[in-house]
Parts: sequence; structure tokens; C-alpha cells
Amino acid sequence: MSEAGTIQAPRTPGRRNVPRRAGAAGSKRRRELLLIWVFLVPSLLVFFLYRVLPLIWNLVLSFQQFSLFGVTRFTGFDHYVDMWNDEVFWITLKNTLIYMASAPVGIALALAVSLMVNSEVRGRNIYRTIVFLSYPLMTVAVGIIWRWLYDEKVGLFNFVLRSLHLIDKPLPFLQSFELALPAVLLANVWQILGFYMIILLAGLQNIPQNLYEAASIDGASGRQQFLRITLPLLRPAIFLAFVIGIMTSFTSFDLVYVMTQGGPSHSSELLINYIYRAAFELSRIDYAAALTVVQFLLLVVLTWLGNRLSGGDAGAVETD
Amino acid sequence: MLHQGSPHRFRTFARSLAAALCLATLAVNPAVAQQKKISFLTWNISDQEELFKEWIAEFKKLRPDVDVEWLDKKGPEFPTYYQTQVIAGTPPDIINTQGGLWLEYAAAGGMVDLTPYMAKEADVRRRFNVDYLGNWTYEGKNYMLPFYISKTLLFYNKTMFKEAGLSGPPQSFDQMMDYAAKMSKGDKTGFMTLNFDWLYWPLFRMNGVELLTPDLKKASFNTPEAVKVLDALTKGTGNGGINKISWTGRWVEPNGAFAAGNVGMLHAHSPAFFFIRGQAPWINADTLGVTNVPGGWATPNSHGLGISKGSKHPDIAWEFLKMVTSEKWTEKFSARRKVLTGNIASDKTTLDKMKVDDPLAAAVLQTQLEQTDKLTGNWRLANDSRVKDAFYPEIQNAVLGRKTPAEAIKDAEVKVNRVLAR
Repeated sequence: MSEAGTIQAPRTPGRRNVPRRAGAAGSKRRRELLLIWVFLVPSLLVFFLYRVLPLIWNLVLSFQQFSLFGVTRFTGFDHYVDMWNDEVFWITLKNTLIYMASAPVGIALALAVSLMVNSEVRGRNIYRTIVFLSYPLMTVAVGIIWRWLYDEKVGLFNFVLRSLHLIDKPLPFLQSFELALPAVLLANVWQILGFYMIILLAGLQNIPQNLYEAASIDGASGRQQFLRITLPLLRPAIFLAFVIGIMTSFTSFDLVYVMTQGGPSHSSELLINYIYRAAFELSRIDYAAALTVVQFLLLVVLTWLGNRLSGGDAGAVETD
Repeated sequence: MLHQGSPHRFRTFARSLAAALCLATLAVNPAVAQQKKISFLTWNISDQEELFKEWIAEFKKLRPDVDVEWLDKKGPEFPTYYQTQVIAGTPPDIINTQGGLWLEYAAAGGMVDLTPYMAKEADVRRRFNVDYLGNWTYEGKNYMLPFYISKTLLFYNKTMFKEAGLSGPPQSFDQMMDYAAKMSKGDKTGFMTLNFDWLYWPLFRMNGVELLTPDLKKASFNTPEAVKVLDALTKGTGNGGINKISWTGRWVEPNGAFAAGNVGMLHAHSPAFFFIRGQAPWINADTLGVTNVPGGWATPNSHGLGISKGSKHPDIAWEFLKMVTSEKWTEKFSARRKVLTGNIASDKTTLDKMKVDDPLAAAVLQTQLEQTDKLTGNWRLANDSRVKDAFYPEIQNAVLGRKTPAEAIKDAEVKVNRVLAR
């Protein structure tokens, strides 16, 4: 009877000790596995407690009529039906999708900036620092600064536009149904541009220089080099920036809260702001849970789509 | 057998020993056995830490067996924190809320009814201004005591009034709009209002508009008067008489704009004065006027103190409330924070002192005790925040030009009725 986990090798003189070695290797492997699990378990536990469990509880809550002080009861799909008929939900969903669509714009701008600061331009480190500086700023501070920039009476934008005679009357950026959301979007793109730039810059610097040299020898133009070498090899970096951009769009609570509070009349309100308001201002925690489920599903679908578009192997670990 | 039983016996012995030791400790020190703890949660008033420490020290003298813990949360964090504590089963015993938040909690059965306590101790009830105390009544039960009180009033920039040839504050809504238009020029606007927590509602009420039917079951504001008011506000906003920040800003922006000296009138509650004065060196008794709005209507936005239903020691919490709302402590609080507390005696003392030390602040606070029978925007609605959320975006739609006033009022009526029917 052979021991479990050992390999029954032919009994040749040179391989006399193989079963024992295989047993030792198996045992080593088991120890390694155990060690891996020992290291993993605390993180997984925290992940389970703070991510998975709340997610499950949130899902359950979305099917309940929750009472802060009384009895909670099951209501089935009531909140989802409410949501279907809720005008504000559709407005905030539309705004969130528009907000999300600003991620590619930001990435495109960041790519242009990255290409510039990656070239042999003089003082490129200073430019990189300047562009990146907006990112570590506290979002609340960014919101306040931009709010003043947009001010109808004393804002810089209106001053410049009027000085250049581009407008007759000052534009009420944050008080306008049409301009409030684009105004917040611009502030958001400005803030996150530096972050995108760093990701793309790292991607650009990982592209082997000899590819460009070979392409030049073959007579490829700058445009061809960009389309055939830079863009394809930047795909992982662009995907990463895209996913982070999407995530940020979905959770960009603070900028909207500080700049417009979602107004006027919900015109700049995002789903995440509505979720917060529903839970903590309108005391509808259960409805907020249902909104969160929808937001979560949207995020899953969009991330999956992003992954598919990037070839379906984003995030895969290369073992070679 | 002996070997199998020994560990079990040892554990039993150890447990018994531990229990005996605990009992012995408690017997020796009865204070430890009876020590209780209450906590109180305040709303964005951490600057009064010293006062709260004094409260706690004083209460410790009265009740050595009780420890008091104080917590403070900023406005936006307050509901988040409190609600999570309620869910966890550990709500703070005493809470200080602003505006109509208490109503949501009281209507859901989360607050202790203080009426029986006040019935037993009528002298406590008699301490307070009846109109302010009445603000915290829901279905005939009183759920809170005044902590510090405020209601809306009209601030006006006397310099801008002079420049526009205006001699004194407006006496009617139409005059107010007319004055606003007269002061509007270049970067200057004539009028601004705070808009959160129904603070703009006196503008409607002074024109005879009622939000709801007396039984609070249906909207009653879809009237020609309401459309007329909204039309005037829309026209005022369109011609620059009313600053647009009125409809989009919350606290810092409108008050900041008035502090900049470019706004003729500001309809706000009394705490705005101290914020504005802190930012505006131009403010003094010659340059700033204060008065009630035409008709005398005002929306209260006071802070109250109540007891959580989940409190394990509601009677002790009541004792604490009694102490902190007494004349001695409200007077100290008023002096430190320049607020009125709803305690009749201490408010009188505070105002008398302030008239000498800080006449302008006294004039502002004096308005808070005038016409307190004309409080509005304080409907006892369990779903006040949802009604507010249904109504106000439609006002924005009108004043910022997306809908006609008549359409906005009609749509608001549908939405408010939908909320009320839910």
C-alpha cells in the first residue's frame, strides 16, 4: 500500500529515494500553502467583514421596510418599483453616466500631457509636478476653490470671459441647470488629470525605446508610431486609468456635495449623492440600500465591459 | 475517573473564585456596583467644550454615581453617527438636534416623551418661552427642551439703502422686492435668503400662502397668491434684484456674499449675524439694520435637547437636562456663545447685559423674542424632510427659469401630495 501523496516511481537504482523526496516535496508544499493561508486569512477576514458582509446585508435591506426604531419587515421588490417610478433616480443615474463619460476625456487629455512631459522638453519635471499637484489636494478644498472660480459676481472665469468680450452677462455656472454638471465635471477632470498622467507616464516609460528606433528605420511616421506602438502597448495603463476613472465617477461624492449639493433641482446630483441623501437626510435607509444595489450592479457590468474591451485578460498575473 | 474530572473541577473552582472575588470587590466598594453612565451628543458645538466639562463636573456633584460622556458631531455627520448608534443598540442618552430632524426620530418612536416629566415638574416647563417650547411638540407630546433658539429675521445694509435712496426697512413683500430691484446694480444685488430647512417659507407665508391643509394631509399651496409670490421671486432673480445664490447656496455662500457688502438685504436666522460679523469689518450699528420681515413671520431653526428612547437611564438623562437648562447654566451658555436659550429669565438677563456690551448683537437677538406667535415652516410632519425634498426643487425650477411659476407650483403640489399619501 502506497502512502498518500507519494509518487510510485519505477524501482531503478538511480531513483531509489524518489518516493521519499516526493513526500517531502508534498509536505513542503502543504506547509507553504498553510503559510500562504496564514498570511491571507486576516486580510480575507477584514475583507469579508467590511466588504462582503455589508454587501449581503445591504442586499437584504433593499427588500425590507427598515425602521430605525421599530420593527423591520419584508417588502419584496417595493423599493425597486419605487425606484422605477422615481424621477430623481433617473436624473441622478443619467448624471452619473455623463460623469462617467468624462473619464475617457480626462484620460485623453492626460495622454496628451503625458506625451508632452515624456518628451525631451526642457523643464519636464517641473511640468510633471505642476500637473500632478492637483491630485493630492483635498477634494473639499478643490470644490471650494472651483466654486469661487465659477462665481457669477466675482469669479475668475466670468471675469476672463467678460474681459475677452466673449460674453455680455456673467454666466451663473453653478446656478444653471445646463452648466452646473459640466462645471463640476471640469473641476473633476482637472483634479484627476495628474493621477491619470502618472499612470500613463509609467506605461510610456515601460515601452522599449528600440521599438521606436526600429520603426524609424523602417520609415514609420510619428503618427504611425503612436498608433502602432504607443497606443497598443499603453493598453494596460489606459485600462487601469479607465477602471479607476469609472470607480471615481461612481464614488465622486465630495466634489458635487461641496460645489452644488446636487442642485439646482438635482441637475448635478449623482447617484452616490442621492444614496447619501436618501439614507441620512430623507431617513430612507432601505431605499438607499436598493439604490446601492443598482449602483453596484452597474459598476460590475461596466468593469466587466471594460475588461472585455481591453482583451479580457486585464489584471491577469504574468507567470513567465 | 479522577484524571477525567480534575480539569473540569479546576475550571469550576476557578470560575467560583473569580465570581467570589468580583462580589467581594463590589461589596467593599458599592459605588462601583452602582456606577452608571449617560452620554450626550451635541450638534457641531465643539467650541463649548469647557462649558460641557463644567456641566459634567456639576452633575457629578449632584449624582456621584453617574458618569457623563460628551460627544460632538458636525451637522452632516450627526444623522449618520446617531443612526448607526441606534442600529447598534447604543444610542447616546441625550441628543441635541437642529431644525426638524427630531420630528423624524420622535414620529418613529425613537424619542422619550418629556410631557410626563414636565407635568410632574411644572417649574421646569415654566422656565421656557411657550412658543419655542411648543416647537418640539408632536401629536400633543413634547419631545425636546430648548437648548438654543433662533428664527429668521431681516438684515439690511444701511449703506446700500442710503445709496438707493431708501429710508428704512420694507413694510411689505412687494416693497421688499421693489427695494431689491432698486439696489441691484453691477455686482450688487438687493436681496438674498437662506433656503435650507424651510427658512425661505416666511416669504410665502407673509402673502397668506399655507403649505398644507390644517390636518397636514394635503398640499394647499397651489393658489394664485403662491404663483404671484413665486412669479415675483422669479422676476427678482431674473433682473438681478435677488442674488441667485439664494436658491443654490446653503450657509457659507449667502452669508459670505452679504458679508462682502454687495447685498442689500439678507433673510436669515440669527446665528448668521455672528458669522457675517466675523467676516465683515464694515458691520456696525450705523451700517447694519435688523428687523423682522414684513408681517412678522419667521421660521424657527432652534436646537433642542431630547432623550433617546434607547436610553438605559432616561430618568438620569432628565435630571441632566433639568440641570443644563436651568437659569444658572443657560445664562453661562448665553454669555459664552451669544445665543438665547429659550429660558425666559436667563434670556432677559443676557439681553440686558448685551444691550450695554454689544448693542448690535442685542438688537439681533431681541428680534428672536418678538412675534414668537408667528412661527411658520415648522409643520409637525413625520416626513418633513421628504416634503421639503419634493417642494424645494420645484421652487428652484421656477426661480432659475426652467418652468413657469404656475407649472412649478402645480408640479410641486403633485409631488408633495404623493409624499403625504405614502
